[in-house]
Order: sequence, then structure tokens, then C-alpha cells
Amino acid sequence: MQAYIIRRVVGGAIVIFMVGTFVFFMMRVLPGDPAAAALGLDAGSTSSEALNARRAELGLDKPILQQYGDWLWNAVQLDLGNSFQNRANTVWYEIGRTLPYSIELGLLIVLVGFTVAFPVGLIAAVWQDRWPDYVFRTLAILALAAPVFWTASIATLAVLRLELFRIEVIGQPHLWNDPGAAITWYLIPALAGGFAGTAATMRLLRSQMLEVLRQDYVRTARAKGLRESIVIFQHALRNALLPVLTVMGVTVATIIGSQVVLENMFNIPGIGNKVLTSFLGRDYPVTQALVVLIAVFVVVTNVVVDLLYGFIDPRVRLA
Amino acid sequence: MSAADLTQAEGSGQIEQPPLPARIAGGVKGVLRFIRRKPLGGLGLIIVVVFVFAAILAPWVGRYDPDFEFTTENPDYKLNPTVAEIARNPDIGSPQVVNKFEAPSGEHWFGTDAFGRDIYAHVIHGARLSLIVGLGASFIAVFGGLIMGMISAYYAGFVDLVMQRIIDMLQAIPFLILVLTFTETTGERSVAWVVIWLGIGGLAITTRLIRAGVLAVRESEFVMAARVVGASDLRIMLRHVLPNIAAVLLITFSIGIGAYILVESTLSFLGVGPQGLPSWGRMVADGRAILDLHPWLTVFSGISLTLIVLGFNLFGDALRDVLDPRLRGA
Repeated sequence: MQAYIIRRVVGGAIVIFMVGTFVFFMMRVLPGDPAAAALGLDAGSTSSEALNARRAELGLDKPILQQYGDWLWNAVQLDLGNSFQNRANTVWYEIGRTLPYSIELGLLIVLVGFTVAFPVGLIAAVWQDRWPDYVFRTLAILALAAPVFWTASIATLAVLRLELFRIEVIGQPHLWNDPGAAITWYLIPALAGGFAGTAATMRLLRSQMLEVLRQDYVRTARAKGLRESIVIFQHALRNALLPVLTVMGVTVATIIGSQVVLENMFNIPGIGNKVLTSFLGRDYPVTQALVVLIAVFVVVTNVVVDLLYGFIDPRVRLA
Repeated sequence: MSAADLTQAEGSGQIEQPPLPARIAGGVKGVLRFIRRKPLGGLGLIIVVVFVFAAILAPWVGRYDPDFEFTTENPDYKLNPTVAEIARNPDIGSPQVVNKFEAPSGEHWFGTDAFGRDIYAHVIHGARLSLIVGLGASFIAVFGGLIMGMISAYYAGFVDLVMQRIIDMLQAIPFLILVLTFTETTGERSVAWVVIWLGIGGLAITTRLIRAGVLAVRESEFVMAARVVGASDLRIMLRHVLPNIAAVLLITFSIGIGAYILVESTLSFLGVGPQGLPSWGRMVADGRAILDLHPWLTVFSGISLTLIVLGFNLFGDALRDVLDPRLRGA
């Protein structure tokens, strides 16, 4: 088991290192001048000394391999450098400023999604081929097809038309310092993101439950005269959860992807929003750090899920 | 019997092709059987076919040129208005006024947008971009995945290991951000390039699926037999492995299309999508500015997007269930 844990962690570290290398070279080998972008000029419109000075200041005058070595060496020591756009801000400062918003929204999306996906998946499986099953399956298929920015737009329209609550939020509140305002700010993106992000989970849970409910040990449990709720929750659900957990990494990646859109739509200054603006502004250090950070989230989720297996299902503990 | 004879025998096992009319009739029968077995898949197929026709026949079924700006004569028109009159009615000096933000009517089925352009014509023309992106990107992803998956599965060992790590890396980055990395670092925003980037972004998943398919076939007896008689690697791959993973390829191709359409629309919505063709994603974004007063642009372009993705998803799911139920959940 210990060797397995070490192998998984090392494998995850290699993947993260590769992501960093990939983003670094993608950003540099291909055209686009961050010095010009930082000065607010179109690339190629000027070759003034200011531009060269800026390049030197940003360290872009060095050979690429040396830049890569410097970046890697500093990153290993957890020094991510300063933002190109706001030279005074370290990348860590930018992360510290944006990450809380994304974690809040991400947790709300997961909360909304799973509180819907689990009961709905269970109900659809237990009442297979009856009307709740059809209704929920149809909704899941629609949720998978509808783009998240559109469901969020329609939800906004509904709130405006029905005058449910005021969408405009003053300032940028957090859940902990102004819960009321923060909830109205996060509500629509959390609902839209949860709707889209977990339709796949619901469908998977349903098909796994159907598979498990056909097993011999479920029949045995029922034959013993156990209550149906115990059969479903203790015998069936535990076994059906495993494949759902397997795809958690994919689910997390999907949710982060939709957060890019939702944060942009609702002016939430989170990681997703920052990734987009730093890409557009050619802010190399911030972009690199954020993409690596997102990859760390996905990879850590995958590793944790793999390790959790052993605790949930002793059958795979040997692997 | 020599090895050459065996190779000959192996090659001569071709089934005689029936004449063309019979094949078409057989194909039609196959489609009808598919619709009967999988009504939802049939519905998906019908949705897709409707959109394909809308895209091809857009100039005729779109009713209007999507770029034409409708105007009407200004009833309040005055040749030389005074400043006070302009302040009261800014349009007073122009003989024509733009028919902007009209609600749906017999003349404009889905209403008009901020420039007086017909939304219905825009929605119909928007089908072209979605179809080009969905089919094109999925084709590139499957073609690249086929090459990579075959190499990876066939030459197990070091090559396989390296490829698996590359795939792990690509899958650690959310798809939207991966595609943004490609499009934003290169600044290539033409339709063709976005299709290529989407296809490359999809390589990780297609390679994984196709590799699994090749691995299953590789161990079968007919591949071993072909190897025993001395068939080359290339020959084995093309003549023996490829026909046997055709189902996997078809499934991989069809279940991915919806996802590529969604990502393209998301890029367009964010304002970093392909340039040059009307895009539903961009239309949803344009309509959001005046959502409360004039929701038609956002509503209709979003419905079209959902419908086309729904059609491809339903069809792909059904195709997978019919061709290879083991891939359920892929």
C-alpha cells in the first residue's frame, strides 16, 4: 500500500511538472509579445528602447532555455515571480486574491450538484422506467446538452422578469463577511454550474445502481427480509458509488472549466476569470501559475480518489 | 503450404459486394431498424439531419440575408431639424430608421437584433459553424487518436509509457483552458485553426478509447495468425486491426461532436472564438446586454445550441449502445 501511495504521488508530480513545461513553452515559442502587451502597444508597432528595456526587465531577453531553467528553479522554491501586468503584485498575491472566490463558487457548485445528483440518480434507478425515471433522465440529457452560459442567462432572465431578488451586488463580498450579498451573487452561477456539472454524475450513478441492484447479494439481502432502505443505502449504494468516485477528477475539471465562463459572466474575480484575462494580456507568470494550479487540483483529486478506493472498497486494496 | 500462399488465402476472403441499389436499400433498412430499436437515437438523428439541411440550404430557408439591416421610413423625418428637435427625437434627421429589437412577428420569425438584422436568418446560418466545428474537430481527434492509439497499443513499452504520460498531462488541464492555451498563445482565430485546436485538444480522450480497442484486438487469434505467416506490422494494422476497431472509431467520432460544439460556443461567448461566421455562442453573448428587454437573440440561439448538441448526444449514445454496449459510460 505504501509503495502504491508513493507511486501515485510521484506519478502525479510528473504530470504537474509536464503541465508546467507544456504551458511554459506554448506561451513562449509561439508569437505574441508580452512586453508590448504590458506597455499597451500592438506587437510590432514599435521597436523603441522602452520595449527593449521592458523585455529586459521581464527577463524576456534571455534565451528561452535559460528562462525555463530560471522559472523551474524558482517555482521549485515556490517563488512564482511577479505579474507582468501589475509589476508590484507577486503571483502569490494574485492567487491569494482570486482563489477564495473560486473555492467559494466551486464548493457551492459541487454542493448544489451533488445534493441534486445523488437523490435524483437513486430515485431514477429505484423507480426504473417509471415516470420519475423518465423525467429525471430527460432533465439530465438536457443539462448535458445546454451550454452553461445559456442556462445561466436564462436563469438571470427569470430572476429579472419575476423580480425574485436584486442581482446587482455592491463590492465583492465573501460568504464569511457578507453572506447575504454573497449568496445572491453566487446563486445563479452555482445553480447553473451545478446543473451542468453533475448531470453526468447522476446518469452514471443511475446506471451503476441498476447494475448493482441486479446482483446476487442484493437479492440475498432482500431475501433475508432486510428493510428496502437498508438494502439500497448499505448494500447497493456503497458499491455503486465507486465508479462515480472514479470520474471525480473529470467532474472537477468540468466544474473548473465552467467556472471560467461563470466567473466571467458574473464578474466574480476568481481563478477562472483571472486565467482568461492573463491569457489575453500575455501575462506569462500568472497564466503559467494558474494553469499549473488548476492541474494540481485535478491531479490531487485523482490521487485522493484512487487512495480512497482502498477504504471504501477493500477489494481493490491489493492493487 | 508456404507463407506466401497463406497470405494469399487470407487476402482472398473478401465478401462479394452486392450491387449499388441493393446496398442503398439495405442502408435505408438499417437506419429504419436503428430508429425502431432506439427511438431516442432516431430522434437525435432527425434533429441532426434537420440542422444539416438548414446549414446547407441556409440561403434559401434562412428567408433573409443575415447581414441585411432592415429599416423603415421615418414618419417624423424632417430635413433640417433644430437642435431642440434632435434632443427630443435623435432619429429625426434621418429618412430611414433601423428596425432594431423587434419582437417575433410574421415578418421576422425570431425578431431583429440591435442592428435591425433578422435573428431567424442568423440562427439558421449559425448552424454552419457548429456543424463544421463539431464534425471537423471530431474527425481530427479520431484520426489523430487512431494513429497515436495504434502506435501506443501496438508498440507497447517505452513509447506507450511516454504517450500515456502525455495523455495524463492533457487530461489534467480542463478542456476549455487547454483549447484557450492553443488559441490564445498562437492568436490563430480562423475557423480552420479553431477546429484544429479543438481536435488536438480532444486527442487525449480519443487516443485512450482507441488504444483500448486496439489492445483488445491485438491479442486475438487472427492477428497472431497473420503475424505467424509473416505479415508486416503495417499490414496487420491496416488489414486486420483497423476493420475490427471500426465500431470503436465510429462511436468515438459520434459521441465527441456535441462536446466540441459546446466548447466552440463557449469560446465565442467569451469573445475569443473563431471569426468570420455567425456563431450561436456569440449571439447568446450579444443578446445578454439587453436580456431583460429583448431576450429573443439569447433565447433562440441558445435553444439551437442545446438542440444540436442534444441531437448529436442522443444519436451518439444510441449508436454506442447498438454497436458496442461495453463502452457504456465512455
